[in-house]
Formats: sequence, structure tokens, C-alpha cells
Amino acid sequence: MAIRANPHLIDELELYGAQDVVKCYHCGNCSATCPFSGDSYVFPRKSMRYLQLGLESCLRDTLEPWLCYYCGECSDECPRGAEPGETMMSMRRWLTARYDFTGISALFYRSPKAELLAIVLLALLTGLGFVLFGLSQGDLAVYSGDGAFLPAEKVHLFDWTMAGVLVLLLGINCIRMWWFTIGSDRSIRVTPLLYLKQLFQVPLHFMTQKRYRDCDRQRPWAIHLVLMLSYLTMLILIMFFLHRVQHGPGIDWWVHGFGYAAALGLIGTTIYALRGRLKQSEPHYKHSHETDWIFLVLLLLVSVTGVAQHALHRGGFEVAANLVYVVHMMGVVPMLLLEVPFSKWSHMAYRPLAMYFSAIHERASLNVPADDQSKTPAPQVA
Amino acid sequence: MGFEPTIVGFLCNWCSYTGADLAGTARIKHRPNLRVIRVMCSGRVDPTFVVKAFASGADGVLICGCHPGDCHYLEGNYKTLRRFELLKRLMLAYGIDERRLRLDWVSASEGERFARLVDEMTEKIQPLGPFELGPAFQNGTDLGLVEGITPTPEVSHG
Amino acid sequence: MKDKCRIGVYICNCGTNIARVVDCEQVCQEVGTLPGVAVARAYKYMCSNPGQEMIIHDIKEQMLDRVVVAACSPRMHEPTFRKALEASGLNPFMLEMANIREQCSWVHDDPQSATRKAIDLTHAAIRRVQLHEPLEKQEAPYTPTTLVLGGGIAGLTVAMELAEAGQQVILVEREDRLGGNVGRVDLTAPYLDSARDILTEKIVRAEASPRVEVLLNTRLTELKGFVGNFTATVEDDTGLAGDRAVGGVVVCTGYRPFDAGRIGSLGYGRLPDVITSFELEQQLRTGKLKTRDGKTPRYVSIVHCVGSRNARYHTYCSRVCCMTALKYGHEIKSAIPEAMITDVYVDMLSFGKGGEDLYRRTSELKTMFLMYEKEDYPKVRSAEPEDDCGMLLQVREKLSGVTIDVPADMIVLMVGMEARHDGDEVARVVGISQDAEGWFIESHPKLAPVSTPTDGVFIAGACQSPKDIPDTVAQARAASAMILAYIAQGKVEVDARFAEVDEDRCSGCRMCNELCPYTAIIYDDETGRSAVQSALCKACGTCVAACPSGAIKARHFTDEQIIEQIEGVLAWGSNQPS
Repeated sequence: MAIRANPHLIDELELYGAQDVVKCYHCGNCSATCPFSGDSYVFPRKSMRYLQLGLESCLRDTLEPWLCYYCGECSDECPRGAEPGETMMSMRRWLTARYDFTGISALFYRSPKAELLAIVLLALLTGLGFVLFGLSQGDLAVYSGDGAFLPAEKVHLFDWTMAGVLVLLLGINCIRMWWFTIGSDRSIRVTPLLYLKQLFQVPLHFMTQKRYRDCDRQRPWAIHLVLMLSYLTMLILIMFFLHRVQHGPGIDWWVHGFGYAAALGLIGTTIYALRGRLKQSEPHYKHSHETDWIFLVLLLLVSVTGVAQHALHRGGFEVAANLVYVVHMMGVVPMLLLEVPFSKWSHMAYRPLAMYFSAIHERASLNVPADDQSKTPAPQVA
Repeated sequence: MGFEPTIVGFLCNWCSYTGADLAGTARIKHRPNLRVIRVMCSGRVDPTFVVKAFASGADGVLICGCHPGDCHYLEGNYKTLRRFELLKRLMLAYGIDERRLRLDWVSASEGERFARLVDEMTEKIQPLGPFELGPAFQNGTDLGLVEGITPTPEVSHG
Repeated sequence: MKDKCRIGVYICNCGTNIARVVDCEQVCQEVGTLPGVAVARAYKYMCSNPGQEMIIHDIKEQMLDRVVVAACSPRMHEPTFRKALEASGLNPFMLEMANIREQCSWVHDDPQSATRKAIDLTHAAIRRVQLHEPLEKQEAPYTPTTLVLGGGIAGLTVAMELAEAGQQVILVEREDRLGGNVGRVDLTAPYLDSARDILTEKIVRAEASPRVEVLLNTRLTELKGFVGNFTATVEDDTGLAGDRAVGGVVVCTGYRPFDAGRIGSLGYGRLPDVITSFELEQQLRTGKLKTRDGKTPRYVSIVHCVGSRNARYHTYCSRVCCMTALKYGHEIKSAIPEAMITDVYVDMLSFGKGGEDLYRRTSELKTMFLMYEKEDYPKVRSAEPEDDCGMLLQVREKLSGVTIDVPADMIVLMVGMEARHDGDEVARVVGISQDAEGWFIESHPKLAPVSTPTDGVFIAGACQSPKDIPDTVAQARAASAMILAYIAQGKVEVDARFAEVDEDRCSGCRMCNELCPYTAIIYDDETGRSAVQSALCKACGTCVAACPSGAIKARHFTDEQIIEQIEGVLAWGSNQPS
């Protein structure tokens, strides 16, 4: 059965940051040099081909872009300057938009203005909401304890509600991802046992990103690990220890110590990344989509305001601390609400899942002949 | 020292003679039993030359031309091939062992092949001993029609 | 004659090349005693100046009338020693060489057998040279008028090159206009220059030149004679015929496009919007690109290798189609900027100057490149009414392994080049051959691509093999140069070693007529005898060996000479006790 080619697909991917896709003439140097490309998955060339041919369904159903960690060797080796590394990145953005059932993701990727507008609106709404809430709760001059402007327990409740919403949205998108990549693949049969046996892959990759370490250069993995662990630490502190974080003005080293380390990690790595992108110092910093900047700026803003409000509270400037708190939330809410289900942050789910699904796919293909062309052709396992 | 046959070779100028020269340039050693007579084209080789060679004391005769399709004069080697088929039968009729007469193709780049060809032919003829005219021949130079001789029925189809 | 010979025999040591294995002194001694030998010497380097001086000196002092040099291969130094003979006043053909290096000292280790062999070969040369006859170079005049067959880009180029060199040209064109296949083209790859500009200039100049006689609607029906002295019979559509005297002929008859209708799955003839490259050129020249029902095509597919590189049709590559297809990408995109172009190819053969750039620039137009297996043509069908395109092209895409349907409103088939249907007629008339695919055969594919085995008849352009305009023009100019070389000499040298028919012995059986690959033997009806046209004879000797009457003599390779050689090589052996 023939698949219909969509010649306009390249135009679409260009909105997501794809560059010079047409230049690829399939010499295969990229796949040869890629440390991850092998018998099971041949990339980036295969994905490039799907893109060039406009095989939307094939591209949507492939796991390959998630198996790439943008070491940039392929772009270095490409004799034609077709930027396969950045094209893979654009495919990740595109897949993020495709997995999303709401269509918001696609809107944001295609139109940075829309995203900025949404951020601003959401920020204003959050700001207004929190100010009104704060006024109804307590005194602007009280940061923590009784009569606090933004009491920890209430904020805690708000945080958890928001978390629930995010998990729901992201969860639905993850199910869609499963369906596209494995669930609807008729060429393999996956048993529940196989799903269970490989389940450990998810937390493993989530925590260590160990595959990233297998790239030739290890610094990107290290930086990312620090960023991620910092954020995770901060998340745990906020979600579970908010009242102790907010408490003060004394410093509870058992809590705040972690907080300082995390803040340092967050700010340090974010600035490193921003500088890198500005100076295009590393291969994966050479091309930046608007969504890349937005994410980093929001993260930095949130980190800085987080540190600032803590410092101000410790310094006794309660009003300022509360105000910065509001600003902090004006950054946090849009950042989380937009980035987690609809934009760059979703990769925290998609990447570990991709490792999980690819492990399943490999094992499931062992038992089935791999020449069904109705779906993404099943990979040949060595 | 065993018997060393003398083989007369008719080599065409463009392919086989050049091939033989190439064997020389490449110093590819081979048996010294061949005596080369250069012609412009293997198509020049008159069957009477072959008979004359045997009659004059040759133990073997080799005709070498360009590979079919490559003849410098376009078609000469095809004519040689045609003539050779008939000549072979004639030789057999006269009782001459077919191993003593050979037609082969050597291109200008086949020095090695030429050398092996000479070796092979020499080795094949050695056990046969010197060529002797059958009793039907009165005189080695009399190439006239020999009466009473008819072709033997068993003629190999090569 | 034999007894009166005074032969000088020279055994070369060639340094140690020969002397290391062959005992040159012994050879010298043994052959020195043979009848006819006036002097026998061994020397270090016969080809050197002192060596040649030695020969010249001996010829004069010893009154030698023929020379034998036993040394390297005659293919090496025969010309050297022939010149030495000429310098001394002897006819250059009074020389024979014995090859005791390449075919003796270099390939044998045993000195005894190598020396024996050297003696035999020298002996044979001595016996042969006694029958050598002085041969004079033959000359014939060269008529400076040239016949050019075909008025396309090749023919026009030849005509103008010759005309501008001051020579007369008769340009014969079968059709009613000049320009040939390039006249049907709009722009050329890779720089997109106008074909019209290239051609019009040439046509105008050819028609205006007083030295070029343009004969339209005319064919060549007969060509008699030999190089420098041809008689060409030309006939036009009305039946009017005339004879012209020409010195050389340049065949520039070009090619014809492959008939795409032979490949059913591509839909040519079945679907109105499947067109050939030439049909697209027509549209491009008018500047309007439309489907059959007048709509502007949004999707255009270009299919490569139609009729080429396929075991069923033609196995060769037609060379120009890939770059032409890339050119179409640009032309279509500039006519219809929103069009999406798909290039369905087998391999991308975009070579030479500007070729790779053209490929890269075409991919930058967002052309979709699809690769198919060359035996596995795409299949074209009409699309459904609800589709946004007119046709669907199904191709098993090699690089992805997926079978895909490509939307297409217009499909352009890059038809390959084929030899013209009248190729065998032309070949027969001018006396050249065709290969298995019908292209005319050149003397040597690398070293002599425009000459043919028939002296005076040249080929240029696509009629020799598929090629593009630059190569065609190069070949046309090459052929012109070769003709101008003939004209500059004013005469042609006929090989002195031609065959001769002895009229008294010829029985008129005409066996030789058919054997000659150069059609050099003619039969005279009146005398009932065959005769060799010496200018055409290449001295292969096939007719000589075949003549049942022994009536044909090969100069310098007579039966007697060869028989002397046979006896010479066997002389020693036959004297030994058996």
C-alpha cells in the first residue's frame, strides 16, 4: 500500500526550525558518524528521508528523533551543509506538537508571537490573581507564618492542583506518543509482560540520562544533569517542603542548603546555556528557535526571582519579598503551564519514554518478520 | 635433456605480437621453444604456411590473433577462425595430432597469458616427440594434392 | 637476386639487456657465414648515433643493399633504422629486424637455448630480407571540398570551422530546416543560456557564408571513391540528384528521442498530461506551462532514465537527461513559483563544469528527489476527483524503502537518446559501421573518437554516442581540424604495403570482394577481374590468404617472404640428427 507524499511537509518543519533539509542528498555520512546510529536505528538519514518525501505518518510514528542527543557530529560531517542535527531538533519540536492533543503546542511553535502573548497574558492573570488572593489572605508586609500574604499551605494547594493539571495534560500526550510509536504498529506484537519487564528504563533514563553520556562529548550531559538535578531538588523542596522553605527568616540548612545548591545549579547552567547560544560555542547551540530562548529566559527569571525573594525575606524586606514572590509566580505559572505539556519541557517525559519504547520495539521485533511497510518499517536488529 | 620441440608462431602485429612484447617488458619467463613470425593480421595466415611449417621441421604451429571483436582490421580474425576449423580437419586427415596446431587469441595487454600459452603448448607437444611426416608424403616440400587420402570420419568438433 | 644480395647484419647487445643471456658474438659468427651476408657485426647499442652511423657507413663502404638488425622489438626501433637506411640512400623497406630482446633475452634464462633462438630468428630475417623490394610512397591529391551530413549543431559547427578557414563545404540536411535537435530546445543546462541564441547565430552565418552550400530536404544516396577523391551523390525530395567531388565526409546525423509509449506503466499516450522532455521544451519556448485542460500545474514530476539504463530498452546512459531534468526544475519554478517539483531519478549524473552546482541549486528550490531502481519504473494513474492533483505517480522509493504516491498534475518523461532509424542506411552509404545499439563506430574510443576506420570519413556529435552540446562542438571542431590537416597537406599518403591483384591470375571469383573490411576491392565488370584500390587498402592480408588462385600479393608480406622466414627459423633444427 503506497503512502501519500506531502511535498509541503518541509515548509511546515521549517517553522519548527528545520534548516537546509533540501540540501541533503543522502550520502549517509551523518548516519555513519553518529555514535548512536546502528543496526536497529539508522539516523539521522532515515528521518531526513521521511521529511524530504513528506511522509507525515512515518515521521510522526518514528522514535528516532528522541534517540538523538544533538552532539552535532552529523552536521559537522555533512558535505552539503544540510544541518541534520538541527533538523532532528526541529523534528523533536514537531513531534512535541503532534503528540499534543490540544493544538496549543503547534500554535506556539509556529508562532512565537502567540507564545509570547500567551506568556504575557498568563503572567498578568497570575499576577492579578495572586495579588488579589494575597490581599484576601493577609498582609503584604508578612511573608511567612500567620497573616502571610501568600500562605505556604494555600500556595502548596495551588501548586499541587497545577501539578495535577500538568500531569493530566502531559499524560494524555504520552499516551498519544505510545499509540503513534508502538500502540498502532501492526508489525509487532507487544505482550504486557514485555511492558513490565522494560519498565525500569523509564526511571533509569529519567534520573541519569545515561544515553546522553554515550555521546562523544560528555560536557553537555554533565551540564544537563546538573540542571535537571537542580530543578528536581527545587521541585521536591517546593512540593513537599514549601512551608519550611518559606519559613524564616532563619536559615534551615537541612532545607535551604539543598535550595542554595539547586539555585546555584539552575542559575549557573542557565547562564551557561544562554551564553552558549549567544556565542554559538557548541554544535547544539548553533541554531536557536524562539522556543529555546523563551524556555531559558523563563527559567532564569524564575530562578533569580526565587533567590531574590528568599534573600529579601532573610534580609527583612518583607514587602519586597512578597512582591518578588508574586513576580516569581508570574514567571512560574506560564513557564510550567506552557513548557511542560506543550513545549520544550515535555521532553522530560518523552525522552525516557522513547528509551522505554525503543527497548520494547527492539525486543518485540525479534519475533516478527520485519518487512511490513504499512507502518514505520520495523528496525533490523543486529 | 628431453626432447625440445620447435614451434613456429604466426603472431598478428597489433594484438598478439604486442602481447608477446609485453611479456618481455614484464620479464615473464617462458619456454624458449617458440619461433615467431610477424604478420599484420592473423587473417594473413595462409593455411599453406602451416603445412609448410610442419613440412620444414616444425613440431608445432601456433596462430595468434586479436580477440574476436577486437581485430585491428575489423574482421580478419573471424576469417582466421573459419579457415582454422577447416585446416584442423585437414591436419587430422593427414594424421597430424591436433595438439600440434593451435589457434588462440592474445590481446596487447595479455603478456602473462601469452607466456603461459607458450609453456602450455610446449608441454603438450613434448610427449608427442618430434613431428614426422606420415608415409603418405613423399617430399616435405611437395604441397600438391595427395591422392588416395580421404578425411577420416571421426573429426572432433572443437 | 638472392645471390647478388649484400646484406649487413647487426647484432645489438643493448648494453646487457641482450648480451647478458644471448651470446651475441656467437650469433654474429654463425650468421656471418650465411650466403648473402656481406658483413656481420655485434655492437653495444645499435639504435644510438654511433650504431646508426655504423650502418650508414657500412652501406656506403661495403655497398650493402639490405640490412638486418637483430635487437629489440621492431615496434620499438623499426622507424629508427628505416630512417638510417634512408639517410644512406637505401629504400627504407630494405630492412628486416629480428626481435631478440622482448621475445628472447628478456624472457629466457638459459643462455644456450636463448642464443639458439636468437640465431634462428636472425637467420629467418636474413632469408626474408633477400626478397624485400623497394616500395615507394604512394600519393593522391586531396580535394578540399568537404561534405557535411546533417545540419544540426555538429554539422553547423563543422561547416563554419571549415568555411572560416577558407574551405568549401556542402551541408546536406534531410529536413527542411537547419538546427536539428538543439533547435527544439529552449534553454541549456547548466547555466540556462538560450539554445536559440547559440543556434541562430550559427545558422545565420552558415546560410550567409559564400563557402557553405546548404542543401535542405536532401539526402546522400551514394559515396564512391577514397579519401581525398570521393564522388558523392546527393538527392533532394523532388528526386533531383547530382554528383559532387569531395575530399572528406563528416557525418553529423545526430539522434532521435526514445519513444516513451513503449513503457506502458508511465502512462504516455494514455494520460494527456504525461509528456516527453521535448514536448515540455515546446511549452517552455512559448512561455506557457499548462496542463491539457488549460490549468496551471501545481505539482510537476520529472522521471529520469526513460528508455535508458534498462535491460529491456537500452542499457546505456543517455548522458544529458539528468542535467536537463535539473534545468527543468529551474525553468518550471521560475514560470510557476508555487509549483512543487519532484525529480524521480535512478542516479544523479550531473557532471562537469557547473554540474554539481546545478544539482545543489535545484535541491535548494525544494525539489523532492526520489530514487527508484532502474528496472522498476514508476506507475502512473489518474487521481481521484477529491484529490488535489491530477495524477498519482507510484514509486518504490529506494532510499527510504517505502512505496509512495507522489501527487502530479504534469509528468515529464526524460526520454533517452536513440540512434536514428536511418542509421544503417547512412552507414552503408558512407562505409562505416554501427555498434549493437546503432551508434557509429569510431577508430578508437579514447584516442580517435572522430575518425572511422574508413579514411576520410569522420563522425561527430550524438551520432557517435549520446552526448551534450559541449562535447558535440568539441568533436565537430576536432573533425574539422583533421580535415584541415588533410587539406593543408594537399595530398594523401597511401600505405605502401597495400595488396595487389595480379590480373593474369585473377579468376574473377570475387571471394576477396566480400572479405575486405574496408571495401577496398572492386570488381570490374568489363574485365571480369577484381582490383584493389590501393588508397583504401590497409594491408591486413586477409584477401591474400583467401585467394584460391593466389592472385593477390601483399606487398612486404608476400607468401615467399613468409615462407623464407619459416624455413629460416627451422633451418638449424632440420639439420640436426633426429
